[in-house]
Amino acid sequence: MMNKHFISRGLAFLILIVCTAAMISPIFFMISTSLKTKSEMLLFPPTWIPQSFQWANFKELFTNDEIKFGVLYQNSIIIAVFTVIGTVFSSAVVAYGFSRYRGKGRNLMFMLMISTMMLPYPAIMIPQFLLFSELDWMDTFLPLIVPAFFGSAYQIFLLRQFFNTLPNELYDSGKIDGASVIRMFTSIALPLSGPALATVAIFSFVWSWNDLLAPVLYLNSQEKFTLPIGMAAMISSKFRIAPWNLLMCAAIMAVIPVVALFAVAQKRFTEGIVLTGIK
Amino acid sequence: MKHGRKMWLVLLATSMLLTLFLSACGKGGSSEGSSSDPVTITYYTIDSPDRTFVEKLIPDFESKHPNIKVKVDKAPYEQFDSKLQANIAAKKSPDITSHFGYGGFMEYYNKGLLTDLTDIMKTDNFKASDYGIQEQLMNIYKVDGKTYGIPSNNYVTLMLYNKDMFDQAGVPYPPSDYEDKSWTFDKMVEIAKKLTVVSDDITKTQYGVDFGWGELDMRPAYFGAKVYSDDAWTNGGKPSETYFGSPEAIAAYQKWIGLIWDQKVSPPPAFSKAVAGQFGDPFLSGKIGMSVVGSWSLASQKDFNFKVGVAAVPIGGNPDVRSVLYVDPLFVLKDSKHPKEAYEFIKYMLTTDVQEKSIELSGGTPPVNDNAKEKYYNSFEGVDPQVIKQVYEGANKYGVESYNHLISNYSQLNELLINEFQSVQNGDQKVEAALPGIQEKITKLLERLNK
Repeated sequence: MMNKHFISRGLAFLILIVCTAAMISPIFFMISTSLKTKSEMLLFPPTWIPQSFQWANFKELFTNDEIKFGVLYQNSIIIAVFTVIGTVFSSAVVAYGFSRYRGKGRNLMFMLMISTMMLPYPAIMIPQFLLFSELDWMDTFLPLIVPAFFGSAYQIFLLRQFFNTLPNELYDSGKIDGASVIRMFTSIALPLSGPALATVAIFSFVWSWNDLLAPVLYLNSQEKFTLPIGMAAMISSKFRIAPWNLLMCAAIMAVIPVVALFAVAQKRFTEGIVLTGIK
Repeated sequence: MKHGRKMWLVLLATSMLLTLFLSACGKGGSSEGSSSDPVTITYYTIDSPDRTFVEKLIPDFESKHPNIKVKVDKAPYEQFDSKLQANIAAKKSPDITSHFGYGGFMEYYNKGLLTDLTDIMKTDNFKASDYGIQEQLMNIYKVDGKTYGIPSNNYVTLMLYNKDMFDQAGVPYPPSDYEDKSWTFDKMVEIAKKLTVVSDDITKTQYGVDFGWGELDMRPAYFGAKVYSDDAWTNGGKPSETYFGSPEAIAAYQKWIGLIWDQKVSPPPAFSKAVAGQFGDPFLSGKIGMSVVGSWSLASQKDFNFKVGVAAVPIGGNPDVRSVLYVDPLFVLKDSKHPKEAYEFIKYMLTTDVQEKSIELSGGTPPVNDNAKEKYYNSFEGVDPQVIKQVYEGANKYGVESYNHLISNYSQLNELLINEFQSVQNGDQKVEAALPGIQEKITKLLERLNK
């Protein structure tokens, strides 16, 4: 009896260890490549442990005038933070409206909004570019930040589903206490939606953080470039060996904020995934 | 509870303030007024050090031309075409660029994106010889005798070889003299056999030759077969007929694919991917003896883990077609408001002095100006300048311009070929079985595109 238990436990652990190794190996290889010299990075078979640890690669990344890594990082953070604020704020307001009020044509409007999710970015790229060009927003962060303040269909849908799960009794008690509409939203709906709001925040942060095409289109001057642009530029030469080791340093640095954000919000985030699925 | 509401208001207020603040910072447009103001021209290129070196030349140019300001815009390779397209649509077209992205010269020409420079050049008395540009190179970017682009760089195809591997096998190095008529394709295969080691242990496996001569549709030309009807070279890159299924083309492709599957001296795609990743060059791993590549690979030679030699491309089926030339031009775009000033900047880029400076600034880009070439030949430590010179001159003498600059809609065509040839290169399908189907697909594609 006891034996059987041990064997099954052992087997489970073994499977978990194998899976973990498979998951970790690319990350390990990324870290290992980031500490290699240029010539070691081209060796075949590739080495798992660098022959000598090139911590100078990280220094090089931050001091290289062609890359300007610090500036890239700062720009990406600025854009992502504003995108998160804009998305969370506007999507919550709109989703609350869709969830609480039954006006004429509400479903049609909701349908219309959801259908905008079907449009791939390249389809709206040029018209949107023309619009922002007319507004004279070229080479500013505005085209990347302002749209976030007009909500995002996906996030609105996600939040609406969550608000729908909040029982009406809550609002009734608020009414009895004489709370205004805004008060209901800020004091009842929002505090109870922590997990959903965390989910929206993480999603919008990661999307903005990883976005490449839009920043490339709208930003022209080097000092406004974002992290993905800088990293894409590192491997843009068709004629030179790409500095993969520096690129891996950049990738490690780039993944830190996402991991940190996830670690902070993880508890709420996983709650959010579970809860939004419940009606 | 109250606290929550305050938070929202504060967030909203700060975000609005910051938006205003950012938009105030962002305004930097130059207003172009009277004619005494300098005009600003935009040079659009790829965001990589070997292209953006142009930025370093601007102060010098502006001091010589106080009436012109130059701005450099850039995008990563993959987004280059999208950004160009968006800016042209928004009437913010750059003034100068080149086919740096996926599209080739003919695509730009057929979309009507290029300014005809003929009159500007005539008024200016432009002579190619003043800039050390050979007359036949000027013809590459002419359509119906009108000039739409001016060459600025001159890459060729050459053979790099791994000296260490040759020494180990005790095989004599391949020649760098294009006039050495004993240096044939078959001779190359013979040498490659001596270098090839196929073992179960992938780390011990090495191959004699990797034959990356031009794009897929060019390889028949090397063996003396034709895939496009001749009218393609004069009518704007739209062949009326293609001959991918002809016996000559089939024989040519068989010879090339035969290196992998019959002679077994070239790496199968799976091996190349294993040692070099998806887009890497297997030659860098030191597992390839001879590699026929574009001369840009030479620029990275100081990073290789082995000693590199440079040699001539052997004679295939046509003694006059031995090297693919990649002569990169500069264009003035149709929507440029200042074509004359843009042309001035292009001329400046071609002067001997600037072409020489550009070699170092770009990390080894070959100049088109003959007077600057001597310096280029001398810029590769450990490789004999005389040998590079010999190979370059031979390649230019027996060279043909790369089809991707000459055939219309090249990116779609090339993508189709790459996809279709995959099974052949992997050895899952025989050349003679695949080509008739490929021919059919190409015919359909070109019918659709070149209506």
